[in-house]
Amino acid sequence: MNREDVFRAVAGVLHPDDITVAWFGGERNQWKTLWHELHPGEATMSSLFMGGLTAFAFGLAVALPNRRVLAMDSDGSLLLGVGILCTLANERPPNLTVLVLDNECYEGTGRQPTHTSGHVDLARLADGAGIPRTATARDPQALAATTAEMLEDGELGLVVAKFEPGPPPAYPPDRLVPWDDREGKYRFIRYLEHTEKISIKPIYVDE
Amino acid sequence: MEPHLGSLVLEGLGKAKTHVVVGLPDGLLRDVYERAASDARFRYIGVTNEGEGASIVAGCWTGGQRAVLVMENSGIRVACEHLARLAHNNEIPVPMILSLRGDLGTRAFRAHGHAQSMEPLLQAMRIPYKIITRKDDVVDSVAGLIYHAISSQHHAALVFAPPLIGGA
Repeated sequence: MNREDVFRAVAGVLHPDDITVAWFGGERNQWKTLWHELHPGEATMSSLFMGGLTAFAFGLAVALPNRRVLAMDSDGSLLLGVGILCTLANERPPNLTVLVLDNECYEGTGRQPTHTSGHVDLARLADGAGIPRTATARDPQALAATTAEMLEDGELGLVVAKFEPGPPPAYPPDRLVPWDDREGKYRFIRYLEHTEKISIKPIYVDE
Repeated sequence: MEPHLGSLVLEGLGKAKTHVVVGLPDGLLRDVYERAASDARFRYIGVTNEGEGASIVAGCWTGGQRAVLVMENSGIRVACEHLARLAHNNEIPVPMILSLRGDLGTRAFRAHGHAQSMEPLLQAMRIPYKIITRKDDVVDSVAGLIYHAISSQHHAALVFAPPLIGGA
């Protein structure tokens, strides 16, 4: 399974209004473009940073209990702050599913190994922390089925997707989705304001 | 009877429609954590470190749920990476309430560095802050903290210092 297989398997089981929080790592524009094609719309918050993604997704799940939230974290990112697994285990947000894209390396910096290339098993770590449902998927069919079940079951879950590192699809420059961290945030909150009928960033604070 | 600090903080948060409190406890703000955790109007989320807490608060804000991070001032050192990324990459606000531990006169020398590093770090990350010492200032300052964060889309910090809290 490669990263594109992971994306296609996951996108295939998402609803259009499911919220995804993603970090695309190296060659991010190409990966973001592919994700945008597979999961079109503005329901992806994709401009975050390693170490805070799952915590951020948990905050979104707290704020939007009526929406399904999928955190698309990575092995290197989650290993920067595994304490969030313990917080999630105690809080158990029913609308949050965590997908860990685990290629066992820091691909963007030259494929240096992460600890999951050794003895570390993130699904077992999550299980030990107290996450009620955990799994590891090694092929697209298993990943799609597990992700769909975890999104549907109304319970916190974490699935680790083991995949091989590799380059992104070769998109010509005119097909790449232009993006910017701040623009991405504003587009995402305007999307939420529109779909949830709420005010997140008013023009003026007149309270 | 004089109101408790925690009650005043919750009053200020309620005034600014903020009902999620994320925290890593310290003794100086104990009343705030305990009242937030036991008050049905608020959701209290305990975290394993302050950086994680900052990202949870940021997620809440992005989803339209106002939230605040409550921690000892030493937590700024732990949360630097999260705070810097959220502010300077994404402009996602994280309002914070800090206790000032380690100020001049503190006998516990291990806390001295907390006070000495707090203001330089806040300044380095361009986080506006206010230090208050009187109970009369708590409610409006807490509400103001939230309004500042919304309007600026940037972090802001409110620091509680003695005699408002203990410390020496």
